[in-house]
Amino acid sequence: MNAIHAENLSFSYQDRPVLHGISLSVSCGEMVGILGPNGSGKTTLLKIFSGILRGIGEVRLKNKNIEKYNRPELSRLFAVVQQEPRVNFPYSAAEIVLMGRATYHSPLALETPHDLEVARTSMDRTDSLGFANRYLHELSGGEKQRVMIARALAQEPEILLLDEPSAFLDLKHQIQIFELLLRLNRERGLTIVAALHDLNVAALFFPRLVMLCNGRIHRDGAPSDVLTEKTIQDVYGIRVRIEYDSATKKPQLFIRPSLS
Amino acid sequence: MKVLDRKKMILVNSALLILLVLSAAACTLLGPVRIDLSEALKNIFSSTADAEILLRARLPRVLLGIAIGGGMAVCGVVLQALLANPLACPQMLGVSGGASLGGILGLIFFPNWLLPLAGGRLGEISWIPLAAFLGALFSMVLVYRFSLFHGRLHPYHILLSGVILNSFIAAVIMFLNSIVDFYQAQGLLFWLMGSLSTRAYVTVGFIWFYILLGFLWLWSKGLALNLITLGEDAAMHLGVEPGALQRQIFIASSLMIGAMVSVSGMIGFVGLMVPHVMRLLIGSDHRLLLPASFLAGGIFLCWADTLARVLLAPAELPVGIVTAFFGGPFFLFLLYREGRRSLAL
Amino acid sequence: MIRRPRLFALYFRLIGLFFFIALPSSSDAASVGFSRRIVSLAPSLTETVFALGFGDRLVGVTNHCDYPAEAKNLPKVGDFMSPSLEVIAAQRPDLVIGVVGAIDPAKAREMERLGLNVALLSLSTVSEILSSFKRIAALLGDAEAGERLVRKLTLQFDKVTNRVAHTPRRSTLMVVGLRPLVAVGGKNFLDELITLAGGANIARNAPQPWLNLPDEYVVAKAPQIIIEAGMGSDTAAPARHWSDLKSIPAVKERRVYTYNSDKILRPGPRIGDGLEELARLIHPECFDRADSAKGTRCEGA
Repeated sequence: MNAIHAENLSFSYQDRPVLHGISLSVSCGEMVGILGPNGSGKTTLLKIFSGILRGIGEVRLKNKNIEKYNRPELSRLFAVVQQEPRVNFPYSAAEIVLMGRATYHSPLALETPHDLEVARTSMDRTDSLGFANRYLHELSGGEKQRVMIARALAQEPEILLLDEPSAFLDLKHQIQIFELLLRLNRERGLTIVAALHDLNVAALFFPRLVMLCNGRIHRDGAPSDVLTEKTIQDVYGIRVRIEYDSATKKPQLFIRPSLS
Repeated sequence: MKVLDRKKMILVNSALLILLVLSAAACTLLGPVRIDLSEALKNIFSSTADAEILLRARLPRVLLGIAIGGGMAVCGVVLQALLANPLACPQMLGVSGGASLGGILGLIFFPNWLLPLAGGRLGEISWIPLAAFLGALFSMVLVYRFSLFHGRLHPYHILLSGVILNSFIAAVIMFLNSIVDFYQAQGLLFWLMGSLSTRAYVTVGFIWFYILLGFLWLWSKGLALNLITLGEDAAMHLGVEPGALQRQIFIASSLMIGAMVSVSGMIGFVGLMVPHVMRLLIGSDHRLLLPASFLAGGIFLCWADTLARVLLAPAELPVGIVTAFFGGPFFLFLLYREGRRSLAL
Repeated sequence: MIRRPRLFALYFRLIGLFFFIALPSSSDAASVGFSRRIVSLAPSLTETVFALGFGDRLVGVTNHCDYPAEAKNLPKVGDFMSPSLEVIAAQRPDLVIGVVGAIDPAKAREMERLGLNVALLSLSTVSEILSSFKRIAALLGDAEAGERLVRKLTLQFDKVTNRVAHTPRRSTLMVVGLRPLVAVGGKNFLDELITLAGGANIARNAPQPWLNLPDEYVVAKAPQIIIEAGMGSDTAAPARHWSDLKSIPAVKERRVYTYNSDKILRPGPRIGDGLEELARLIHPECFDRADSAKGTRCEGA
């Protein structure tokens, strides 16, 4: 079954067209990385998949039109990790993660012990249990991001949508997060769709990559198919040298700066 | 993991409720005039001075103060969530300004010749609070229309239209202040600075019913309010329909504020300060913050009114002056002590 | 071409000269001669000028000046708090009289800067009101008229005080507004009138001339008379307002009156008449029953 299926999807902001004729299918249990330069439509695509924006063309989640779901159902189906978490009020990390359990209990009741357990496990997985009781705004960018991922996990979703999840993370935590995603995908069959900007990391962790260019799908396939010197030249306009890592057998980019 | 649990809910709310009852009792017994409590209680149903002071002059005020303090505090909490701004307060919506202006216009332009008609019965209806409420409704509709885009109320637009409407109303009130006579000017001051002076149990009962209803409804939205502070997109992903929630909260709080200002004038500071103080003390989870703020707001205004009666006895200060005068420095003190550690401003 | 610093100095000297010439002192115009064209900025002062016999010298009055009847036909210069300076100046008055505290001080200064002769009088106490008669009379050049008016009023006062001299004082509350409750305090000429009329203002110890009173204070002080002196036309409202506080003697004995006459509310020459009417309310037993004054509504003996 297709977790996500988009058929001839187009979208424009006011009069600025962003996506043109996107047709994309993500099977259940797939791990897909969306690549592309800024403005290519990555975030917009994720927003349409997560039900925030409505484009022209059909979007189906698990073979049901996205518009037929109500919001609580959607929130149990998928979770979204956004780029910039910004919270205006003093909540602790634990409280933020617990909010992910919102649709699992009555709005008039408090969280159950099971909810607390799920939250605790999620924080443990993202190595954020240590600052559970600290206020979110006191944490570093990377720590905040891990809390947000924990919240997404607490929703116990089937699909995880991430928008540049490693943007603020240091190297160690970047690797940690991607390894976690890989594990969740392999052990629990979690469908993962992530917008990424680091091509090398994308190549290492994601079995399938979709390269967007000017709102269209330029290339869709395995890293070795998508990350070619010609593709990079066409889409990003820079010259690179692709070499294959002997250990992982994945393509890695080497940049050739014009000045050196 | 320290999060909100039943124990905390029950503990905090019970403590505040006890404090509220004690405050209500104390404020009914305190005042610029000394009364003999045993005398008063003995003659509770007959008309002696002490009994009348207790039952007719003080108790209605105390009860009204609790309702309005609680209502203002609760509206402050939800507006801060709605506008995603810790500095939001009920006065910002323009509704209280509209209510004041409506009341002032009613005061100045009321056709007094109408009153003797219908056998003098017309005089028994409180026309001025009705005029104030109409003013509140008008402002609410105005700000609503200016902020509604594609089914969503944009916090930025609400704030902006509210501020502009307030400035405009302030200008009109200043103008009216310059053309009214001395006696009407006193009435103007009531609207601008507030007063809990009342003897009408009917009014108090009505306001209690109204505010309690509003408070309970808003309390039921506590979880959704938590989620909406994460941002509209994040809230959507967690099951909330932000557009509908925003509209409902805006209308509910506007109606509450309109009613409160119509009855007691503009009493500021409660809606800004009490939510913050409670956040500093018990956290930002709205499921606890709402009832706690309601109770704390009631306690605060109850005492503020007592001070208003006592400070410059026999004169009565407008209660809005007391709330600002004592509330401000106390809040700054609290902020200094704990705010830098925990307030996300 | 004069160098810059020199030009500035010249400029400032010219300004200074202008102010020196154009800014007359606000003291009496006695040195300038008797005033013949007068603008009055308060209804009480208008009445005073007429009472002194010089109504024909008034060339401008406020919108509220309605007594005596001739005052209504005089040219209007606006409201007493913010009169129109242009209209005033257009009347070319040689004297403008106003009340201290009622007129915006900035407006008064502006009038002086325009070259108008402005005299501000304080009318907060009975003695100040009587002095105002003398001072205005002096400005008009007829000090004797002032003395006459003062004598007339003093006689009226004495007549009243003699009548009530032998009865015990009645505690009185005078309010000028019900919502909010605005009462007459101490340092107020109305407070003095109440005292002269044989009453005892329950708020006379308050330092403010007007104050908001909490209901409990009124109940505790138990006034025997309550007088509503505000500008409402619903005359049944005051009695209704107090009706539930039955412990108050004024309510029990139905002595809640409406008396909103300009005779006591204007600090002018009619306070003598007003005082008598006030005394009739407070001590009706001291006056001839058949002699009912205008504008009062007595709710029983």
